[in-house]
Parts: sequence; C-alpha cells; structure tokens
Amino acid sequence: MGILIEGTQITKSFGGVTAVNGVDFHVLQGEIVGLIGPNGAGKTTLFNLITGLFSPDTGEITFAGKTLKGLKPFEICRLGIARTFQIVRPFLKMTCLENVLIGLIGKEGQTSRPQAKIRKARNIMQITGLAHLETRMAKDITLIEKKRLEVARALATGPKLILLDEVMAGLNLSEIQQASELIKKIRNDFNVTILWIEHVMGAIMKTSDRVIVMDQGKKIMEGKPDAVVADQRVIEAYLGQSDA
Amino acid sequence: MYLTNGIVIGIIYAISALGVTLIVGIMKVVNFAHGELYVFAGYFSYYMSVSLGLSPLVAMPLSVFLVFLIGLLMEKALIRPTYGDDMYSLIVTFILSIVLQNLALLIFGPYPNKPPNLIFGATNLFGLFYYGNQRLLSFFISLAILLFIFYLIKMTWFGKSIRAVSQDREMASRIGIDHYRINMLSFGLGAALAAAAGVILSPIFPVTPSGSAAISLTAFVVVVLGGMGSLKGCLVGGLILGIIENLGAAYISTMYRGIFGFILLILVLVFRPWGLYGQKT
Amino acid sequence: MKSSTIWFSVAGLSVAIILPFFLSQYWLHVMIISLFYVMMASSWNLLAGYTGQVSFAHAAFAGVGAYTSGMLSVFLGVSPWLGILIGIISAALLGLGLGVLCIRMGGIYLSLTTLGFSEIIRIIITNEDNWTRGTMGLQTPGLFVEYSKTGYYFIFLAVAVAIGVVIYKLIHSEWGLTMRAVLNDEIAASASGINTINVRLLAFTFTSAIAGLAGGLYGHYLMLVTPDIPSLGQMFLVLAMAVIGGMGSFAGPIVGSFVLEILSEYIREWGEYHVLIFGLIALAMARFAPEGLMGLWINKRKGHGHTN
Repeated sequence: MGILIEGTQITKSFGGVTAVNGVDFHVLQGEIVGLIGPNGAGKTTLFNLITGLFSPDTGEITFAGKTLKGLKPFEICRLGIARTFQIVRPFLKMTCLENVLIGLIGKEGQTSRPQAKIRKARNIMQITGLAHLETRMAKDITLIEKKRLEVARALATGPKLILLDEVMAGLNLSEIQQASELIKKIRNDFNVTILWIEHVMGAIMKTSDRVIVMDQGKKIMEGKPDAVVADQRVIEAYLGQSDA
Repeated sequence: MYLTNGIVIGIIYAISALGVTLIVGIMKVVNFAHGELYVFAGYFSYYMSVSLGLSPLVAMPLSVFLVFLIGLLMEKALIRPTYGDDMYSLIVTFILSIVLQNLALLIFGPYPNKPPNLIFGATNLFGLFYYGNQRLLSFFISLAILLFIFYLIKMTWFGKSIRAVSQDREMASRIGIDHYRINMLSFGLGAALAAAAGVILSPIFPVTPSGSAAISLTAFVVVVLGGMGSLKGCLVGGLILGIIENLGAAYISTMYRGIFGFILLILVLVFRPWGLYGQKT
Repeated sequence: MKSSTIWFSVAGLSVAIILPFFLSQYWLHVMIISLFYVMMASSWNLLAGYTGQVSFAHAAFAGVGAYTSGMLSVFLGVSPWLGILIGIISAALLGLGLGVLCIRMGGIYLSLTTLGFSEIIRIIITNEDNWTRGTMGLQTPGLFVEYSKTGYYFIFLAVAVAIGVVIYKLIHSEWGLTMRAVLNDEIAASASGINTINVRLLAFTFTSAIAGLAGGLYGHYLMLVTPDIPSLGQMFLVLAMAVIGGMGSFAGPIVGSFVLEILSEYIREWGEYHVLIFGLIALAMARFAPEGLMGLWINKRKGHGHTN
C-alpha cells in the first residue's frame, strides 16, 4: 500500500490562535484512519486545509504525489478528495436526489448524459439508505438523514479519499453499528480511503486501522487503536478536557 | 490649493464612508440608501435654519439626530428580517434608496439647496493662498467627528461590543451582548455619519435628491479602497479619493469628476481587491 | 414539463397571438413595453433569483445595447439588426470584464461595482453629447421600412418567448441545478467539485447579453434612445417587477412585468407618485412575501393553512 495523502509540518493560525501547529500526517491507500482529540484540537481545521477552504501558513500537503498548494476547493474535489461537514451543509432548498446529482455533476460535468447521472445517483442513495427520500427537500429531513445525505453527495464525486467529520454524532447504538458497516462498505466496495473525525470512541477504535490523536493544534500520538487507548498522553488530553 | 481642497473633501468622504463600513463590518449589509440619508440631512439642516430660523449650530446636530432615528427605524422594520440573507438586504436597501429619493423629490422638490454658512471670509493659509473659512471649519469639525468615532470604537464598551459582534455573533451573544441592540445602534450610527457628512458638506456643495447615487458611490469606492470593515482604511481611502478627484478635476476634466472614483475602484479590484487595510481571506 | 405548465404556455401564447387584432394602438404599445420588461426581469431573475447575484447594471447593459446599435445605425448606417447583434456582444463583453474583476470577491462587490458601472454609463452618455445627443436623446431608425406596431409586437413577442424558452430549459438543466447549488451553499458546492466562480461568471455574462438584446430592440422600437434606458430608475422597475412577481420562480418576473406595466398605465396620472408607490409595494413584498405574487398564489393553491 502506497501513501495516498501526506502532510508535512502543517501550520495555520487565525489572528493570535494557532489552530494547527506543525502537524505531520499521512494516510495509506485503502486505510481507514481515525482522527480524534478534544474540542478545539484543530481536527476540522485540518480538514479545511486539506480541502482547500483555507491554505496552510507553512507546510505542504500532497495527494497521490501531487501538491495541493494553491488549488481551489473544487479542483481538490476533482482530484479525488471529498468531504462532509461537521455542521451539515446540504443544499437545503433542493431535493435529496438533486443534492447527490450535484456531486456527479461536479465530477463528470457535461461528459455524461443527465439520465446516466440520475441512475448513478439513485444507486448511491440505495447504498446509503436514502432511496425513500429521493423527492424530499433536504431541509425537511432529519439531522441524521442530512449527515447521510452528505456522505452520499461526497461519494457521488467519485473520490479516492473521503473525509468524514463527525458523521455519528447523535446516533444511537444500533445506528452507530449501521454507520460503521457503511464506512467499511464504502472502503471495500468503492475502494475509497477514509480519514474520519469522530467522538464516538467505541466506533472509531473498532472500525479504524490506525488512529491519529490531536490536542491544541498538535499531533500528540498516532498508532493502532489499542495502543492509542492505552497511551498516557491521550488519556491526559481527554481528562484535561473534562476538568475544564 | 487643489491639494488642500482634496484633503478637506477627503476627510468628509472618510466620515461618510465610515458610516458604510461600520454597517458592512458588523452586519454584512451594504446600505444603498446611504446617499439618500445624506441628502435628507442636508435638507433638514437647510429647512431648520432657513425656514425655522434656527442657528446652523443647532440645526446641524438636530438633523444628524433625526437621521439617526430614521436609521434605527430602518434597521428595526426592514433590515432585521433579512439577517443571514445577504441578497435580500441588498435588494431591500436598494428599493429603500429609490423610495427615499422619490420621497425627497416630493417633499423638497428637485432644486438644489444650500444651508447657510456658519462662518464667512477666508484665511491666508501658509502664506500661499486664501482659503474659505467655511471649508476650514468643516475640516476641523470633520476631524473632531473622526477622532470621536475612533475613540468610540477602540476605547468604549460600545466599541468592544461592536467588534465582538462583528467577529462572532454567536460567541458575543453567549457572553451577554444583545446583538440586535448592537446592530440597531450601529445602523443608526452609520446613518448618523452619512447625515454628518451631509450637513457639513451641503453648505459647500448644495444637495439635490438626484445627487444621492453619486454620494453613495463615493462612499462605496472609499470603503472598497480602504478595505471593507476597516476604519483606518476609510480615512486613508477618503483622503486618496478626495485628492485624486480634485487634482483630476483641475487638470483633466471637471465633467468627468465622478469617473475617477470608478477608475480607482476598478484598479483596486484588479490589483488589491481586498483593499488597503482589508483582510485577505 | 408539468401538464399545467404546458397548458398555461399554450393558452398564454394563443391569447398573445390574437391579441393585437383586438387591442387599440395605445394598448398594443403597453403590451410591447411589457414584453421588453419580461425580457429584462426574467433575465435579471435568472441572475439574482437563481445564483443570488444582485446586479444593478442590468438597465445599464440594456443601455449599452440600445446606444451601440443606435449609434452604429445613425453614424455608420449599419442595419439595426446587425447593430442589435453587435450590441449584444458589447454587453456580453462588458459583463464578462466586470464579472472577472469582482465576482471572485463575492456578492457585495458585484452589487457595488455594477452600481458604479451604471452611474458611469450615465455620466458618459450625458457628457459625450456629440455621439449620444446627451439628455436630448438619439433619434434612431426603426426596424421596418414602414412603421407597424403590430410588426413590433410580434418581434417582441417572438424574442421574449425565445428568451423564456432558453431560460426555462436552462433552469431545468444540470446548469440550473448547479446554479441553485451555488445559491444554496457556495462552500458545499465548491467542495462537491463545482467551479462556483465560473457558474456565477457565466450567469452574469449571459444575462448581461440578454439585457443588451432587450435594450437594442427597445431602442429601435422607441426610435429615440435616451439616458432613461440605462438609468437606475429603470433598474429599479426591473427589480421591482422580479421582486413583486416572485424571484427564483420562472413565471414570477413575467407576471410581475405585466402587472406593473399595466398598473403603471392606470396610475400614470399620479405622476411623480408612481415610482414611490411601486417602491412601497416592493418593500412590503420583500418584507412580508419574499416569494412574491407567485409564492402567494402557489401557497394558496396548495391550500396550506400553516404559517412560516
């Protein structure tokens, strides 16, 4: 397995606050990598840096051997990086099917016929369990469904790497189970590499091949899930948060 | 001479632009009715001093206060429901500008009016040329207003709340700042600044209802040039535009006075679209 | 296409085609002006209602079309038809240029720059009176050798319908979908691989070209091109028609154009007041019924009792 994405010495500050501080990371082809850490650790900022919403102050990110420097979000998406948002952003005044179609249009542009895109979109909605919502407006569905809709839209862009930002927040145990299955399915059936942020520890430990831990903008640890759970620094980072 | 004119006019432009930038910075709303508020203030001050016989010294602040109240009312009735929808706030303030302009035509008529001067005569400046006292006085009043606004924003509780709201509305409300109140007050203050520029400048350049678009545009050019939301940008931008317009009118063409601002706007958009002191995002 | 839409279009078109045989010359004139506004308001709505970009230069681009074609025919003897074509191209190129400059900076900048552009066009036209005849207006030749109001009516009808069809196709195509995505959430659209700047720029250029076309036709109909065509007052009328009719819907601006133009014939006697009245109506609509007449009608038809 080769390296799919790699970041070296990534730093980003806003005003006086350093949100991401000298972070090195990489994800191998086909891996499921969990990104954890207390609130404000810089996880979402890292996602925003990868997808080109912000550009890093220093450091460089390369994807499949190409630098992402200076690329706009839509160019990065077309290279094969898709994402969901922590605070969901579906296209509220469009139907669920139309939401998924946007991903396909973003990827294929005018090179495929609208009918073919609709077929593919329906297929993706089937897999993500949204088939029954096709004609519903995105503003009218539940938060959980919106999160899933974002996953579907991201999948529609035909990514090599997908960044999931807290897709399990608010789910109950059996739903978490389903979501974990879905994540594995995305990796196995679609051949998509996954980097995901999650606060649901059980799920991330069970489903990830490897875990990266961030705290206050820095990477404090990475390794196999069981090694991470046992690590003193990680425990401190989380305990420190619950004290505050 | 032209340079002095440019600086005097530039300072007044800065005041007018401050009114726009304050509202943009805090509420992300561009007030297209800015020029109309300026014109209303000019007419108020004219009628108060000519028809009611008030001293200009009373009429000027009273007109500004009146427009401040109009501003509060506008925010509450029309702008507040558009929060979060930039497009609708643009449309609403544009319609408002047309309504106010036509209202001004109905009430005040199409003829230019000029409130009386506060002071007459001229002073010899630096032994070089004579300069109108009215203009000199305008300059000092404007400077005082500018300093007051800078003080207000940088030093007082109101200013801190304004900056908190403009940076993070949610966070501000969490620490107990009522952002509705702040928005309303700052919209009123923005309107009052348009009015201040109006009452100061109208004895020099008479106001007409149809002149309001040009006044708004001048303020917008200064805001874009200085950088949206930047106070310092307004001052520097105002001075630059004032000087360029006066030199341009003197040496190139008076008819095209209004065009220099637009050329400047285009140049800014080409070379430094976030403005002199704006945040590059 | 829904069957009700087809039904409405067929009925509307049939009425439109037999209309001139029943109308007086005066009302035929009102219909022609309404059709001009249909072209203007529909295209402005495509820009504002579907991509969220509020341009204040739509009337200015109509002015570019009218003056380009007018001056070419007066000074160079170019055929008005060719002139209109060149007018369209000029409006499109100016739109493209302005768009390239300000669209990447976001919506507010587009509004500010287009307002400035509009004012500049006015200054140039009033000052270059050797070429434009300033506020006196430029007398231009008509489209026909023999003047015929009915002829103009059918030309305006054909062009308005053609523009309507193109806009309808566009908003129901993948392009329309991407435009709505950009309007809904620019960041999410960009993260889904949509080049949002391009979508905005194309919409702006295309609608500016339509304004140029409408203006060119209008100038050769009136046979007098004045600075009123590119004025902000005209801009306001177009905007008010879209807002009152209903932004973001296909039929809204069409309804708005006819309603306002016909209404203005009835309240013309109130002179100065009529712009003020339109302004107040538009403000009330924007405040209380942001989806316009179409929104009110659709809600009523659905029989929804719920309030938002």
